[in-house]
This record gives sequence, C-alpha cells and structure tokens, in this order.
Amino acid sequence: MAEAAVDTTEDQTVDTKVIKERLDLLKGGRFKMWLEICAHCGLCADSCFFYLAHDKDPKYMPSHKVMKTLGELYDKKGEVDRATLKEMAEVVYGDCTACRRCSMFCPFGIDIATMIAAGRGICCSQDLHPDGLKAAIQNYKDTGNQMAMSSEDFVETCEWMAEETEEELKGLEIPIDKQGARIMYTVNAREPKFYPQDIAEAAMIFHAARENWTMPSNGWDDTNLAMFAGDGKTMTAQVKLVYDAAERLGAENIGITE
Amino acid sequence: MYEFVSGPLVWVAFIVFIGGMIIKTVGLISLSKKKDKVVYNHLNLDWSMRSIFRWLVPFGSRGMRENPVLTIAGFVFHICLLAVPLFLLGHNILWDEAWGISLWSMPDRIADWMTLFLIAAAIVLIIRRIVLPEVKIVTTSTDYILLAIACAPFITGYMAYHQWMDAKTITIIHILCGELMLISIPFTKLSHMILFFLSRAHIGSEFGERRGTVTW
Repeated sequence: MAEAAVDTTEDQTVDTKVIKERLDLLKGGRFKMWLEICAHCGLCADSCFFYLAHDKDPKYMPSHKVMKTLGELYDKKGEVDRATLKEMAEVVYGDCTACRRCSMFCPFGIDIATMIAAGRGICCSQDLHPDGLKAAIQNYKDTGNQMAMSSEDFVETCEWMAEETEEELKGLEIPIDKQGARIMYTVNAREPKFYPQDIAEAAMIFHAARENWTMPSNGWDDTNLAMFAGDGKTMTAQVKLVYDAAERLGAENIGITE
Repeated sequence: MYEFVSGPLVWVAFIVFIGGMIIKTVGLISLSKKKDKVVYNHLNLDWSMRSIFRWLVPFGSRGMRENPVLTIAGFVFHICLLAVPLFLLGHNILWDEAWGISLWSMPDRIADWMTLFLIAAAIVLIIRRIVLPEVKIVTTSTDYILLAIACAPFITGYMAYHQWMDAKTITIIHILCGELMLISIPFTKLSHMILFFLSRAHIGSEFGERRGTVTW
C-alpha cells in the first residue's frame, strides 16, 4: 500500500490507483443499477434535514450530493486532483449525516446514503476524513475504544461506580468478565470517561431486574466512529473486538447502551 | 419504406428491447450475487412485495402524498404510456392481421384523450424540472431527451390519427419513434420499467427485514 507515500493531508497528490480499485470494488449490481436509474425527480429533497435547515438550498438535496461526489468519481474514473476530492470530502462528511432518510423516500428505492458512505470510504482512503475522526480512529487502533482509556482505567471506573451505588442498593455489583452471562453490556466510551454515573444507572436497572449480566474488560466500546469515517478496516476490527469479547465470555446477548 | 419500418425493424426493436432487458436484468442479478452478497441474507419476499406495491398505488407512500402534483402527473403519464399502445384498436388490428392475436381494445376516443393527457402530464414534468430549484439542479439533458423519446410516439401517433400531415409519412415517423423508444429502454434509465422492481425489493428488504421500518 501507499502508506509511506501518502502520509499527511499536506500531501497534494491522490492515489488514483486506490480510488479506482475502490470504485471498481463498489460497483456491484446495486451501485450499477442505482447510478443508472435515478430519474432526477427531486423527491429526496424534502426528506433531508440539511436541505430543509438551509432554507431549501438545492445544493443540499441528497441526489445532488451523490452526483457531485460518487457520481463524479465514476464519471471521471477516479481521475481527480486533491482539491476536487477535498471538496467532495466537505460534502460527504459535512453536508450529510448518512441518516438514510432519503433512501426511504426515493421512489426507486435507491440507497442514496449508502452511496455517500461509499464516497466517505474513498475520501478516507486518501486521508481526507475529518481530524476528529482521525484521532478517534487512532484511539480505536491503540486501545480498542475511542477515548483511549486503558483497560485498568475502565475496570477501576466500574468498581468505583459499584462501590458508590452499593450504598443505595445493597448487593449491587458491576461484574467484569463474568463467564456465561445472559447479557454482555457495552457502552459508549464517553460514559466511563465523562459520565460514569450512566454505568451506575444501568447497573441499578440490571440489579433491580436480577439480570445475569457482565461487562468485558476489553471490547466494551460499542461506538464505531471508524464506520462514519469510512475506514472499513478499523470499523471491522472494532466490531470484531466486541464480538470476540462476547464469545470469550460465552455471553448469550450483547447489550448496547442507549 | 413503410414495409421496412413496419416489418423487419419492428422485429429488431422488440428483440433488442426484450433481449436487452433480459441480459441486463440477469447480468445485474448475477453481478449482485458476486459482489453484493450481503443483500441476500435479508432479502424477503413479503417486504419486497409491500415495498413495490406501495409505490405502484397512487398516494401509497408519504413522498407521493406530499407531492400531489408529481404523483398525479407521474401516474397519468405512466398509465397512458402503457395502456394506449397496448390497447389501441389500430395496433390490435395490426397484430390480429399479422398473427391472429389481439388484446382487448379501447374506443379510439378514449385513446385520443389519453394521448392528450400523457402530453399534458409530460408538460407538467418539464415545467417541474424548470421551475423547482431542487429538481432543476439534478436535471441533465438526458432527462429531457428521454422524455422526448417517450412522448414522440404519442405526438406522432396523434398526428397520424388526425391526418395532420401526409398520412404515410407521419405513420412511418410514428413507427420509427415507437421503435426508438423500445430500443432505448435497455440502454437508458428507461430500464427502470424492470429495474424499479429490483431496487424496490432491495430497499424494502433492507429497511423492512433488517430493522422493521417501512420505506413508503
């Protein structure tokens, strides 16, 4: 891979070979069909809150956003310069949350948001994803959670919360790495980092419900900012980390925080 | 000339249209089986049918209810586009003479009105493209060309029926326009006449089977 060649955003080149490979890989039956049949009817416009929030500025209407990004990449067969790709990154990351509401409103059922997500994958492959997401991705890679918490810190936070809550609810526990639980509970990494009471509150519910539950010491962050960035590799690794934890602990279900 | 456009060229048009659509549809499905395997683990007949049905019924979806002008123009356009050529008395007489088979046919007066309705609906669709900013921004020249290809057989058919020009010439032009439309279908977004069902089945299952959400 061209990791050494494309190292920072200062780099003014794009690896068109990688872009072409991705475009080719994406172009299965669905993408081929979607790119061809859009009737440009405009029905997706009203489904988009970006469009509505910008006083119906047409540049925010969903199919236009796809045409200007992924559509143009296919038209140009991936031959774009970095400035163009950067403009596309502004659209796929900045003007769309990939909420998929437009996909539900399209008369042809074109999954517009999935095409935006594909555009993100291409921008991400050229290191054009937003800085905040880059930092989070690095944290996932280093520690398995977006807040870069160590396993010890996490376990200690849970113990601390269990101790505090036990004063209110006798016998309350936050079981870590318990084998054979019915629910392996996972959280957003912001909870242990900034709002540990959230974990305590979930524990209170589990306690009151006499649930057989646990939390893993590793693989407890169920967020996936890599997915939003379009970094498929890290996204998969993060999902696998959580699944592996459930398998290791023999948990029946994975519970996900609200 | 008339013999040629109404004989061999009709065969060419139908073979390209039907053969092209079969090749295209089968090709897309087999490609998806190779590259979009994820689709198939939640493809569901019930959700697919509901998703297709809702968008085939006027005002069956929220998008249609919120855009009544497009809904009415769209349905009038598509119903006339399919019904007039299939059930026109003149066409059925030709088929009856050629192969001894024919469909039910409608009175000419109704076909005449439906042709005018189709043209009116097309005008509404064109005005929409020019007037509404969110439609204008995504409109390309292809959209107008395809609309013209779809309307041409009807305009020329109307002219031929009412003998506005030399009957033979306009009839030849009318047949050519019809053949052009048929041949265009597999190579343009007019292919949505078949692909609509595939893409709606996919999205209906994607949202329905996977998360119990409706797409209408």
